[in-house]
Amino acid sequence: MIRDMAVDHQPARSARRTPLSDLLIVDTDVHVHESPGELAGYCDPPWDVALRTIADVPERYLDIPGFSPGGDGTLTARFPTSHEATRMVHTPEQMVAELAAIDIDLAVLFPDHLLKLPVLPQADYAAALARAYNAWLVDRWTSRHRALLGAIAACPQDPADAAREIERYADEPSVVAVYLPCAGLDPLWGHRRYDPIYDAAQNAGLPVLLHSVTVTSPVFPFNNHGFDTELARHATSHTFAIMANIVSMVSTGVVVRFPELRIGVTEAGISWMPFVCNRLDKEYLERRREVPFLTERPSHYVKRIYVATQPIEEPERLRDIVALMELYDGEDTTMYASDWPHHDFDHPMKLDQVPFSADQRRKVFGENALALFGIDREGRRR
Amino acid sequence: VTEVVVGRVADFPAGTHRVVDVEGRRIGIFHIGGRLYGLPNRCAHQGGPLCEGRRTTGTLVADAGSGWRPRWAMDGEVIACPWHGLEYHVPTGRCLAFPEIRLRRYEVTVRGEDVVVRLGAPSR
Repeated sequence: MIRDMAVDHQPARSARRTPLSDLLIVDTDVHVHESPGELAGYCDPPWDVALRTIADVPERYLDIPGFSPGGDGTLTARFPTSHEATRMVHTPEQMVAELAAIDIDLAVLFPDHLLKLPVLPQADYAAALARAYNAWLVDRWTSRHRALLGAIAACPQDPADAAREIERYADEPSVVAVYLPCAGLDPLWGHRRYDPIYDAAQNAGLPVLLHSVTVTSPVFPFNNHGFDTELARHATSHTFAIMANIVSMVSTGVVVRFPELRIGVTEAGISWMPFVCNRLDKEYLERRREVPFLTERPSHYVKRIYVATQPIEEPERLRDIVALMELYDGEDTTMYASDWPHHDFDHPMKLDQVPFSADQRRKVFGENALALFGIDREGRRR
Repeated sequence: VTEVVVGRVADFPAGTHRVVDVEGRRIGIFHIGGRLYGLPNRCAHQGGPLCEGRRTTGTLVADAGSGWRPRWAMDGEVIACPWHGLEYHVPTGRCLAFPEIRLRRYEVTVRGEDVVVRLGAPSR
C-alpha cells in the first residue's frame, strides 16, 4: 500500500538513490502465451494433429481441454469484476514494450498453459508439447530480442527426453535456464528418476527453476479441494508446491549428488524460506541417519537456493521483508520477479518500497539473477 | 480552486465511466445512479490504472444480517483495479479490503450541457 511508503520507504530514500530506470532490473519470471495453434507447427506427429483439433477452442485462462485442463477458475462461482485477471502476452514486441514500461532490462520467459504440463497423463504427448514449446520459444521469442531469455521446459513425465532437450539447447545463447514444472507433479522433484535432468543441466551449466501454479488434484500437495475458496487454494498452492519440492530435493540428496547444479524457485514469495530452514535443521538433529549423504545441516543447502520474490509479501511493516530475507541469509540469493502479465504480478515499484540497503537493492533487483543464470548485464551467457 | 470542463453530458452515459486528463491529472469520471463521481486513476496498492477497469460491478458482502453468507451488493458502484483487483466503492472512494484507505474524490457537476470537474482541496 502506498500508505506504507510514507512510513517505511522514506528512510531508504536519498538524493543519491539510483532511480529504478537506471538500475539493472532482471525479471526472473515472465510469461509468454502459447496457444495450441501456435505450438502445432513445432510439434511432432501425431500430437500436432491433436493441437490443431483444439486450436479453435475458445481460450479460457490456463484452461484448455487436452492442453491445460482444470483451470483454478473453473471451481468457484464467477462474478463480474473489472480486475483483468486474464492478461496475456502474444508477441515479443508486446512483451518488450510492456516490460520497458516498468523499467525491466532482462526477462526470463516461462509459459502460460505449460505451467500445468505435469497434470497431462500421456507421457509421449507431454514430452512432445515440451519439445514444441522449447522450439517455439527460441524461434519466436528469445532469438528475436536481446532482452528476452528462455527457460526451456523439462518434461517430468519423460526425464530422458527432457535431458536430451537440455543437451539440445545447452549452447543456445538465449537459453539461460531449465524450467521444472511443479503443478500436479508426481513424484516430487527429489525422486531419482529425474537425475538425468539434473545431470544434463549441471553439464550444460544451466540452472533449474521450479515453477508451480494452482491446480486441484489428488497429488500431494495439490489435494486442496478441502478449501472453500480460491483465496485459500492460491495462497497455498505455489508455496506448498515449492516447499514440498525443496524438502524433497534436499532430503533425497539431489543437492549433494549434483553439487554444481544451481537451483532457483519462483512464485512462492520468500516467507516460507526461514520456516523450511529451521524446521529441517530441527529434524536433522534426530533423524540424520535418514539423510546420511548430507554433510552439512539441511539449511546449508536450502540457503544456496535462489528465490524469486514474487508474489512478495506485503506486511504492514515493510522492513519485515528485509528481516525475513536476512533470516535465510538471502542477500546473495534473492531475486526480483514480476510474473508479468499475470493477475498477481509485482511492479518493481512495489519491491522498491522495501527498505533494502543500497547493496541489497542492487543485488536483489539484478545482480543475484546474473549470478544464477551466468549472464552479463547484456544477457549474454558467460 | 479550478473548475475544468471535461466534456458534454452525452459523453458520460448512465452506467459508464471514462478517464479524462485534467491539467496533468488522470481522473476517472463515473456516471452512477444519476450522479457523477470523480476518482484519481491511481490505485493505492501498486499505482495501477484503477479507473481503466472496463466496467463497474457490484460485489459480495456478508455480515450477521446475512447469516455470514455472501450477498451481492453495491451493484454498479464498485470498481476493481485491473492490475490486482483491489476494490473501491466509487461513490465514497472507500477501499473495500482496507477501509482506512479512502481515495480523494473530485466534485463533478453538470452545468448546462457541460460536465465540470472541480480541482482543489480534497473532498473527504
